[in-house]
Amino acid sequence: MFFPKAMTEIEMIVPARDLLAVTKVLSGHGIFHQADSSYASGAGVDSGATNWQEKAAGYSGLERRIQIVMQALSIDEGQPQANKEFEKMGELVDIRSTVEQIENEVKNATDQLSVEKKRLEQLENTLRQLEPVADIDLDINSLRNSRYLFSMLGQIPTANVERLQTSLARVPNVFLTLRSDSSKPVVWLAGTQSNADVLERAARSAYLSPLNLPDEYQGTPAKIIESIHAAIKSANQKIADLQETLSQLGKARENQLRALLWDVHASRVLAEAIVRFGQLRYTYVVTGWVQSDDLERLTQRLKNASKEILIETLPTTRSGHNLDVPVAMQNSEFLKPFQMLVNTYSRPRYGEIDPTILIAFTFPLLFGAMFGDIGQGLVLAVLGWLMSSKRVKALSSMSSLGGLITICGLSATLFGFLYGSFFGFEEGVHLFGLELRPLWISPIHHILDILMVAIGAGVFLLICAFLIGIINGVISREWGHLLFGHSGVAGFLLYLSFLGLGASALGFLPISVIVFAVLAILSALAVMFSEALIHLVDGYRPLIDGGIGTYVIQAGVELFEVVISFLSNTLSFVRVGAFAVAHGGLSAAIFILAELIGGGNHGFGYWAAVIIGNLFIVGFEGLIVGIQTMRLHYYELLGKFFTGGGMRFEPLTLTPAQED
Amino acid sequence: MPKSGVSGYAAISARVRAMYSALLSPQELIRLSDTPDFTSLLTQLKPTVYGSYLESLKDKELTPRRVVVQIKGRLADVYYSVIHMAPEHTRPLLTQLYRYFEVENLKAVLRSIVTDPTWERVRDVLFPYGSMSVLPAQAMVEAGNVSAAVELLRGTVYEETLSFAMKRYSAEQNLFPLEVALDLNYWRKLWQEARHLSGQDQKQALRVVGAIIDMNNLMWAIRYRVYHNLSEEELINYTLPFGYHLRDEDVRAIAAGADIASVIQRVYPDIRDLNPLLEEPRSGLPLLEIQLKQHVMKQCMSAFTGDPFHIGLPLAFLVLCQLEIQDLTVLLEAKSSQLSDDRYRPFLLKTMLV
Repeated sequence: MFFPKAMTEIEMIVPARDLLAVTKVLSGHGIFHQADSSYASGAGVDSGATNWQEKAAGYSGLERRIQIVMQALSIDEGQPQANKEFEKMGELVDIRSTVEQIENEVKNATDQLSVEKKRLEQLENTLRQLEPVADIDLDINSLRNSRYLFSMLGQIPTANVERLQTSLARVPNVFLTLRSDSSKPVVWLAGTQSNADVLERAARSAYLSPLNLPDEYQGTPAKIIESIHAAIKSANQKIADLQETLSQLGKARENQLRALLWDVHASRVLAEAIVRFGQLRYTYVVTGWVQSDDLERLTQRLKNASKEILIETLPTTRSGHNLDVPVAMQNSEFLKPFQMLVNTYSRPRYGEIDPTILIAFTFPLLFGAMFGDIGQGLVLAVLGWLMSSKRVKALSSMSSLGGLITICGLSATLFGFLYGSFFGFEEGVHLFGLELRPLWISPIHHILDILMVAIGAGVFLLICAFLIGIINGVISREWGHLLFGHSGVAGFLLYLSFLGLGASALGFLPISVIVFAVLAILSALAVMFSEALIHLVDGYRPLIDGGIGTYVIQAGVELFEVVISFLSNTLSFVRVGAFAVAHGGLSAAIFILAELIGGGNHGFGYWAAVIIGNLFIVGFEGLIVGIQTMRLHYYELLGKFFTGGGMRFEPLTLTPAQED
Repeated sequence: MPKSGVSGYAAISARVRAMYSALLSPQELIRLSDTPDFTSLLTQLKPTVYGSYLESLKDKELTPRRVVVQIKGRLADVYYSVIHMAPEHTRPLLTQLYRYFEVENLKAVLRSIVTDPTWERVRDVLFPYGSMSVLPAQAMVEAGNVSAAVELLRGTVYEETLSFAMKRYSAEQNLFPLEVALDLNYWRKLWQEARHLSGQDQKQALRVVGAIIDMNNLMWAIRYRVYHNLSEEELINYTLPFGYHLRDEDVRAIAAGADIASVIQRVYPDIRDLNPLLEEPRSGLPLLEIQLKQHVMKQCMSAFTGDPFHIGLPLAFLVLCQLEIQDLTVLLEAKSSQLSDDRYRPFLLKTMLV
């Protein structure tokens, strides 16, 4: 519960004749995370490995080709048939010939479709260039074959327009920007035929792309535009016909292509797994990880698949770096939304405390404290429930957030009772015959108190975060970081000594200020020179990179940053109280507005303003408070004790349905 | 409100200064150039910051080309690190500066399609740009022809630029218009990003970026006139109308046939003995370019004196890293080809600063 699932490393020696059966067991149940053991391959058996590599590449290529064909025919990949057993790997030659046959059927139509689409694009582009000169009553042909006038109509990159004009400063010309409303302005350049070469070279070097009208387009621009419109209509018709042909083809081949895709997919997964096995003369070496709970099940299945398989298992301890141990989280459904929050930050390492439980406690707590209102909290809870239950189609895409919003809504409801707030109505108001009273405190009436409580809660949470960080350091045995890291013992003592200094100076603690001052100086020195001290403890040399002077400056800046970060981390929690106050203030503002709209009467206008105002608070303030809660966790808390960077447990699977 | 001044730049300035101290000193570069051969050079490189980038290479892979690609990995890491540490409002400029290598990769891919479309060979000359790249480089090479390759760039920042240039490519079957269009577009965008900044950031960014643009623009103008015999109008269209010291009038003067030496003398009064360089352009222009790069290098080094809380410092550092890689590339190529000292030393930028 506090750590990721226990893992067991498993090593196997598999007889060559049982290779496929064993690989199928390893890949077919979604419980084995493979490690690369190809380094164990013996000399002289390379050809076998190459053979499997070729097979894997072959399946991979075919899978891609099938996907391209399916995309062209607008067929989705779907899911493999339920309970389908992949008895054997598909024969590459047979599959390739089937795929080629279907590809040929599709190719003709898709090639034509691509040609037509390109033609349509060209026509539309030509039309775009001609439209600015549509009103000119002049035969385009006369410009093309003019004896004295050089003329060029076309498009040019925006950035080059001014440069082209500059370059032609010494050549007589007329340069007009006919259309400048996009990144491809339409321009017209004209000059005398005697300067044609200069103008043409200048235009070309400015990437002016001249309009090339085919000879069949004759007459005035208006006439040409008319014929282009007709050509566009015909191209659209052809595209529609071709799409219909492809649709028919898709219907005919749909089932066959899906079945083929999943067969090839499974064969590729098996081949790729075998490529990563170590190959000896008559056997294969396979290594990987399995969740300790699944070990017996897997071992039994492997023994059923191969009588002569040798299996060795090595349980894994939590201590040390464990970066190569895959991490599978073990949280209940209730905790999944909070696990998602943790994973967005980073995946825990194998030997690291999983902060999901802590977040599951603190996230709703801080959210509720900032958004405390019985009515609005219940609205959020219902909204969250609708999201997670997928009863409303429009909200189903956000179902993963539903659980989180529900819990945060319930927490806000609880704080609503503590603050005595119901849809913004506060203390002294009678609702349904009952008088609203805060069970604990009304933030807007006790601003300083609520801010102090918020900072106190922040200090408590930060101390918890430091302690968890220290426990993590002990588990990972990174002694240098544990003792001298910014979030280790030295950092923690520095933080405590600052708190002690403050408390002692204000007379809250009967201990002398000097004691805390000495502690602060010692721990500050340890934090300041943490890099060298960590290197010293870890036996890493040189102790510092670069010169002493640079190091001291850098260390000084780092200490400054650490101290500032302690201060900002702590004061950051003021926002919890501030938002609780702001919530009350915003509600009050809405009631003032409602009174103004209602003109002193509690009629339709008044209640409409109250309802719209409450919806605004739930939507707008709810979002802001959510972001602030996340910020407090990601920036102030997790950084103190959570390193992350764990490798995801990714078991081999033959079908996507088996993926976690 | 963008974070600027001390609060925005305290951490990045300290970090950049620390990384600056890891740059090779002129003396270290001389020591490297004194090594007798390629193998000794690699041995000497191993204790430097580039050492860790060479560790992954097996002995048989230690060819100059592979080594150069590996040490460019350091430049990519430095860029990633600086971009991520920089204040938010300056990242577009830094990202655009970094895009230079993607443009170079794109040009390399297009050239390979025309000359030798083998992915394994192309891969070995591409800059290790990393996850920020939008180029489907392998698919482009495998596309087999330039038109199909450019089609794969639909939706990327290169689509619009190449859509105009491709019309010329189709007519002329020459990569020159594509490459010029990509270059002009890249530098225009970089200049725009620098101008989008404000206050000290803008001033310092224009100083560093402008110095590079001056150098490129001047070299383009000279080369177009000397080698390509382009018309005045073409030359103007293939150059940029802005810069730090170099004015548009200077470029237009070169285009109109004015004395090149006097233009250079006006913009770079420190550069002496220009006439011998311009009389023998084949050998002289590369040396002139080296002197201009040294000017850029000095400009960048001067950013490390005075107020450090602006974007000029990270920008200058990135340019210095890039110039260092260029020096190392010259050394690696020279040592592997067993060139005599006098043939490659004039092309080492940093040793001139001793």
